[in-house]
Amino acid sequence: MLQIDSITKTYQGTHAVRDASFRVARGELVCLLGPSGCGKSTLLRIISGLTACDSGTVSIEGVDMTSSPANRRPTAMVFQSHALWSHMNVAQNVGFGLRVRGLPKAEIAAKTAAVLDLVGLSAFAKRLPAELSGGQAQRVALARCLVVEPKVLLMDEPFSALDAHLRKGLREELKALQGRLDLTTIFVTHDQEEAMELADRIVVMQGGQVEQVGPPGALYQNPSTLGVAQFIGAMNTCTSSLRHGAVDWYGVTLRMPLPDGEVALLCRPEDLSIDPNGAAARVARVIDLGPVTKVNLITETGDLLTWTCPRDQAPDLGRVMTLLPRRLHAFRGGALMGLMDVPLPAQAQGATA
Amino acid sequence: MPDLGTTSGGIAPRHTQRTGLGLQALAGLALVALPVGLLVTLILWPTVRMVTATFLIDGNLSSDRYFAFFNDTYTRANLRYTLEMGLVSAVVALAISFGIALYLRFSAGRIATLIHGLSLFPLFVPSIIISYALVRFLGPNGLFQLMLEQVGFTHYRTPYLTPVGPFLAFVWENIPLPVLVLSAGLSQVSDHAVEAARDLGAKAPRILFEILLPQMRRSLLIAFALIFMGIIGAFTVPYMLGPPAPEMMSVFMQRTLGNLHDPESAQVQAVVLMVISSIVGGFYIATMVKSSEAVR
Repeated sequence: MLQIDSITKTYQGTHAVRDASFRVARGELVCLLGPSGCGKSTLLRIISGLTACDSGTVSIEGVDMTSSPANRRPTAMVFQSHALWSHMNVAQNVGFGLRVRGLPKAEIAAKTAAVLDLVGLSAFAKRLPAELSGGQAQRVALARCLVVEPKVLLMDEPFSALDAHLRKGLREELKALQGRLDLTTIFVTHDQEEAMELADRIVVMQGGQVEQVGPPGALYQNPSTLGVAQFIGAMNTCTSSLRHGAVDWYGVTLRMPLPDGEVALLCRPEDLSIDPNGAAARVARVIDLGPVTKVNLITETGDLLTWTCPRDQAPDLGRVMTLLPRRLHAFRGGALMGLMDVPLPAQAQGATA
Repeated sequence: MPDLGTTSGGIAPRHTQRTGLGLQALAGLALVALPVGLLVTLILWPTVRMVTATFLIDGNLSSDRYFAFFNDTYTRANLRYTLEMGLVSAVVALAISFGIALYLRFSAGRIATLIHGLSLFPLFVPSIIISYALVRFLGPNGLFQLMLEQVGFTHYRTPYLTPVGPFLAFVWENIPLPVLVLSAGLSQVSDHAVEAARDLGAKAPRILFEILLPQMRRSLLIAFALIFMGIIGAFTVPYMLGPPAPEMMSVFMQRTLGNLHDPESAQVQAVVLMVISSIVGGFYIATMVKSSEAVR
């Protein structure tokens, strides 16, 4: 449906987007996820035609759209600031794209009414943007795009200016609407929770480059770079030296069949478990998050370790615990070297040998 | 050692605050007293006296002077010429300024900075200099004529003693202010508002007429009111440039008073011009108030 090939864009010698490539299937919702300044919005604007790229191609349904201006592309974009026209009422805002296309007045009115009904704003057709709440304004912006029946819907952090509760509600509405209309959608966000909840697949970007593309679960379970691992979800990071197949993890020696050298060992908070052979750490803070409890611990080496556990297993403050990772991601030079499940401590293995 | 803990809270500070507010209010009144006093003494009171005087003939209330004003063909021609000059010059200056403001809004770089500087330059040039420069440039044996003769055109007739002379001066003189007003107005229209229209398929003319101009309506009206009022009350430019007849009201007024020694008629001319200015001024104030309410 949508194909992005080797897109590069530089601003005064600095790469905003570098050699970005990915494909989006028909009806798929893909999130461009990354920290601020990673190039995700620039890439979205390149897809929309609002920004020209230096090199690479944008193809929609097999047609090269790279040199087509924004007004000739079968895309429609929802902006972060909703960008409604303050002098037009809701119906006029929504009908603008149809007026541009020269449709008869009756058809414009019918289509506008249908789309406003779809987003639940039929009663607000005569209101001015200034008379709408943030959520309603964003729904109007969405309706304005949907009414022109774009082949690809582009959304640039549309919910980031809204409060958390409203954002969550709108996410669910969008997902349901997108599924019902089978609308190919690219959604830019820096909020990983939003991306995980919405996306069929996530394109993780860092420093203008596409780091990894995959379904949310796969990215969380198997991050291919250190950047993705640290950006998606929480991670405990321990930098250590690997010598002769053994590595030190907060004072515990673990066996690791990898080449010698510096290594970053990353472990999800929920992948830590209590083990008598584990690293000793003192409970410094207990945070009740409702379904789970987050525990911050200080290791004997003075590092911070985060562990999540069921509420009923929450430890007391000051208690010394011994924790061991059940799953470790090992990175060298930012690239994944290996993913190890339940690496046994060297002493423990020695004891059982 | 001072006992910081024994202050009993609210009472003492509240008392001080009340005294402070009273002093503040007095200080505020004192500050506005001088300008308000000057306004009343030097402008409002003479205006009221003058307006009253135009309706008094030998101690009796009469509107004869106004009948005379509107029945006199030459006076009516002067008023019409003044209003037409104000309207046409203001519209043309506004159109040019809008073009410049649009360019400055959507462009960056050295050329934009240069154009910005050039567009504001007339703000710092006195009217007498502008008028004299136009005489030297467009007048007989002026630079423009010499340039045309260099390329073989020898039938040049200077426009500086026709309505074109003051028109050119007014347009040039009145570009900076609307550029500033319209630039401020255009800065309120977000890039995304324009991009959203482009994204939905709109081309430049539709974006201009359906997105930008409607959102700029207030700024345009404010700029128009300011230019129009400035032009119909201007003296130097129409004194130096333009035809001997009809004349703009300011010059006509000065001649009625200075050459014809007819202060009563000059006062009537002034009142008529003031009423027209007040209507446009009232319109300007209403637009400003609406803008402030919209911002709130």
